[in-house]
Amino acid sequence: MKGSSPARLLVGLAAVSITVATAGPLHSQDRRSEALAERMAAMTAVTGYEQAVVDSLLRLLPAARRDRAGNAVITLGTGEPRRLFTCPLDEPGYVVGGIRDDGWLTLRRVGPAPSPLFDQQLEGQRVTVFGIVGPVPGVVAVRSTHLARGRSASDEPFSIDQAYLDLGASSPAEVEKLGVAVLSPVTLAKRPHRYGQELLAAPAAARRGACAALATASLGTPAGIAPGQLVIAFTVESRITRRGILTLGNTLGPFASTVIVDGGDEDLGQLSEAVDTTLPPGRFGRASLWSLPRRYGGSPVETIALQDVANLERRLAQAFVGGR
Amino acid sequence: MSARRVALALLVLLALEGQGGRGAEGQQVSPGAASAASSVLQRVPEAEAILGPLVESYGVSGMEAPVRETVMRFLPGWAKPETDSAGNLWVRVGEGAPTVVFIAHLDEIGFRITAVGEDGLASLEQEGGFYSSLFEGRPALVHTGSRSVPAVFAPRAPDAEPRHTPPALRLDLGAGSRAAVEALGVRVGNTVTMPKNYQRLAGARATGRSFDDRVGCTALLLALRRLDPKRVHHQVIFVWSVREEIGLEGAEVVAQELGLTVARVHAIDTFVSSDSPLELKTFAFAPLGQGPVARALDNSAITPPTLVDTLRLVTRPRFIPLQIGATNGGNDGSVFAPWGAPDAAVGWPLRYSHSPAEVSDLRDVVSLGDLVQAVAEGW
Repeated sequence: MKGSSPARLLVGLAAVSITVATAGPLHSQDRRSEALAERMAAMTAVTGYEQAVVDSLLRLLPAARRDRAGNAVITLGTGEPRRLFTCPLDEPGYVVGGIRDDGWLTLRRVGPAPSPLFDQQLEGQRVTVFGIVGPVPGVVAVRSTHLARGRSASDEPFSIDQAYLDLGASSPAEVEKLGVAVLSPVTLAKRPHRYGQELLAAPAAARRGACAALATASLGTPAGIAPGQLVIAFTVESRITRRGILTLGNTLGPFASTVIVDGGDEDLGQLSEAVDTTLPPGRFGRASLWSLPRRYGGSPVETIALQDVANLERRLAQAFVGGR
Repeated sequence: MSARRVALALLVLLALEGQGGRGAEGQQVSPGAASAASSVLQRVPEAEAILGPLVESYGVSGMEAPVRETVMRFLPGWAKPETDSAGNLWVRVGEGAPTVVFIAHLDEIGFRITAVGEDGLASLEQEGGFYSSLFEGRPALVHTGSRSVPAVFAPRAPDAEPRHTPPALRLDLGAGSRAAVEALGVRVGNTVTMPKNYQRLAGARATGRSFDDRVGCTALLLALRRLDPKRVHHQVIFVWSVREEIGLEGAEVVAQELGLTVARVHAIDTFVSSDSPLELKTFAFAPLGQGPVARALDNSAITPPTLVDTLRLVTRPRFIPLQIGATNGGNDGSVFAPWGAPDAAVGWPLRYSHSPAEVSDLRDVVSLGDLVQAVAEGW
């Protein structure tokens, strides 16, 4: 599957890249970021529909508050310089586009497909619809193998226009009873999968791992941050509008420096840093992207090494106190 | 049932037609049928209690032992199960002619490891027919015989051509080398599946991978658990077969063993239904929730029309709904043909066959169990 990070599609990066080799076994203190990475990888935050995850973060991080854009934001210290550390929460996904008379649902993708085979990830798979009374399980229809025999078949990728969502309902009234309506968010059912040497596979695992590292690093910060103001933010709508991060720039900026932590396509074990040139000048200062490496990026088994999450957490914690 | 009795019964049946239907749309439902439908709904939890564990047992063709063990767990106390040299599980009820065989298969589609590269990635071959795209980029489990080792089906390279069909799938165990894979206990020949679980959907619907043919296995168990062996006045053999998906191999062993002694065989297997917006409705249209389906014609067998009629006669007095249709696929009963035994295959409507998202209606599962019991006791 095409593996470009959603962030990278939006965030053009300068070619400067500093690779930091990381190694070593997981220590007991690392288990906190490991557990949070797995927990966050099971969460769903379709772009524009992130508030359930923001709610979870607000419960986890007592110092955090929700800002006008819906970001979860922690502000520590006062004065200059102002430094921003942020990670995007959202992921590509779908909403219910329509409800048919026979109870099947049709889908509308939120934003452009991150790769030509992105919609095909849905075909014949378990999905979750987030209705007003909670998550509702369903499946996306696929042609039965047996009935395709002897018939000509196209080898074009599965497209969103072929996606019929089956909740087991036979009428719009049954769908409504489930709390599902047009615009209910939909994603692949998530079951983070551990394999190999401390590897974790899940849709958008790297982005969630990066956010877990930022969240756990923030839990240890109040004691001694560097002089000035430190803003730690978990942002919404990194895709399409960039409303989350741009609002931060206009409400809490200008920042002397900005660090975005996100997934990147480097080899596992290689945390990397690159200059970000896409944020508007003047509000974000020296902007960089710290990447949590991933394998099979953009696929349902996007894979991260939990050791990398722990190392990213340590690196962030050092940066909060003024070290590199 | 003799031909004369069948003819007589058909006349009665025809006279009864129009005096209350099977509950199909627009038809009046008799009090008996309404009561039967209510009873079916009440027994859905019993069916789920068997189907759930069966669906969550792994058994790619040739490695069915975990599924066979789950079946044995649900057999009634009086049953005396036997496992033959091929791995088929048999339970015999009653004595004397005619000998009737019910057969449902234990195995499921999946993969087998054919080689492990120096880089630790394993090559795979498919066991059974399905779209490999449904497994690309998904979690995986390798079944070593003693444990399940987690892995992933590697997605194609980002620069690969974006076609529906992926290149040959490879398995990544996260090990990095052949030696590390071997250290995990993984070997060439091990079978590979996706993790799966049983999931209830809205209404009486449910989803899970390998409903084909764990629903058939469940129906046989439901029938046996309700069956009074004393009411069976001839030999009925219940078989849970192996290696159906790769060529009806287990059933072949059963057919050879029984030879000319079999009067009739009932394969209890999926009726692949076109009840989906993606399918042509030119045939195979059997809506979910409207009862089992006489699988009267498929790619391997033709049920003699008189047997289809008799099936209707047997089910009607017990208000068991029955649909009749033609679909695609082969069934275990077809391998009894060389011995002259007719195959009156029966299934239940299934959507999205051989995918991780197979969907059935649990009322059909209960009714299928009732149908097997009715045929064993009354035909």
